[in-house]
Amino acid sequence: MFKLNSILTHSVSNVCRQLASSLSANGSSLCLQRTLWSSAARLQQTNSVKTDKDPLPPLPGQDSPLRWGGKKFDELPILYIKATYNNTHIQLTDSVGQSLVRTSCGTEGFKNIKKSTPVAAQTAGISAAAKATAKGVTFVRVVVKGLGPGRLSAIKGLTMGGLEVVSITDNTPVPHNGCRPRKARRM
Amino acid sequence: MARHLRFVARTVMVENGNVDGAYKTLNRLLTQEGIIDTVKRKRYFEKPCRERQRKNFESCRRIYHMEMARKIAFISKTNRDDPWVGC
Repeated sequence: MFKLNSILTHSVSNVCRQLASSLSANGSSLCLQRTLWSSAARLQQTNSVKTDKDPLPPLPGQDSPLRWGGKKFDELPILYIKATYNNTHIQLTDSVGQSLVRTSCGTEGFKNIKKSTPVAAQTAGISAAAKATAKGVTFVRVVVKGLGPGRLSAIKGLTMGGLEVVSITDNTPVPHNGCRPRKARRM
Repeated sequence: MARHLRFVARTVMVENGNVDGAYKTLNRLLTQEGIIDTVKRKRYFEKPCRERQRKNFESCRRIYHMEMARKIAFISKTNRDDPWVGC
């Protein structure tokens, strides 16, 4: 449903952008709505275009003027965070998929139950950010998988370590009734 | 993630470095869609008898809350035009 909403709003914003561009090409005075749209388009062009695309990411099909460190959205490196209930793994890959940095709570020296804490995830995030900046990475898009204790604090650790987060995606696996999970606990 | 349409669904852009706000927005969207609920429920298997009981309970709860909200909205309506005009 969110995809449908995003596609709908994106098509609406596309229509608005086309309307604004056609109006700026004509330059004729029309009814009040069109003048409002033209002023809005002029505002957007003067300010940064970021306010236009607040919740929606740039789609791969269409070209957007947004750049981060000179890179388009599709070329930014991706940082995967796998937040399980017992641990948190962080892996940084480039836009193709080649792995650059890999950290987890275990590699930070935590053991057993201490790995399933937000603090451990934060330290893993900080160390991942440090290694990433050593490799020359500044802007990154984050993909979160799983509902674990380190879900938010890993992202916090990244920002504390000095990495710029451009977008957050949620890739938690939702089975449409696939594999049968284990039985309920404490019968 | 599927090779097609990656970074389209369930994605929130971070505005002005406000990562917390973006994460909160993402969480709110996911709870509204019911994804977080589903993930928590599917962690352990839910037997079909328990699933039927839960669905029945949720539908009753939904009916009760909707009716109560309607009742409260009706009672809290104080300004209305005079129904007994002329009397």
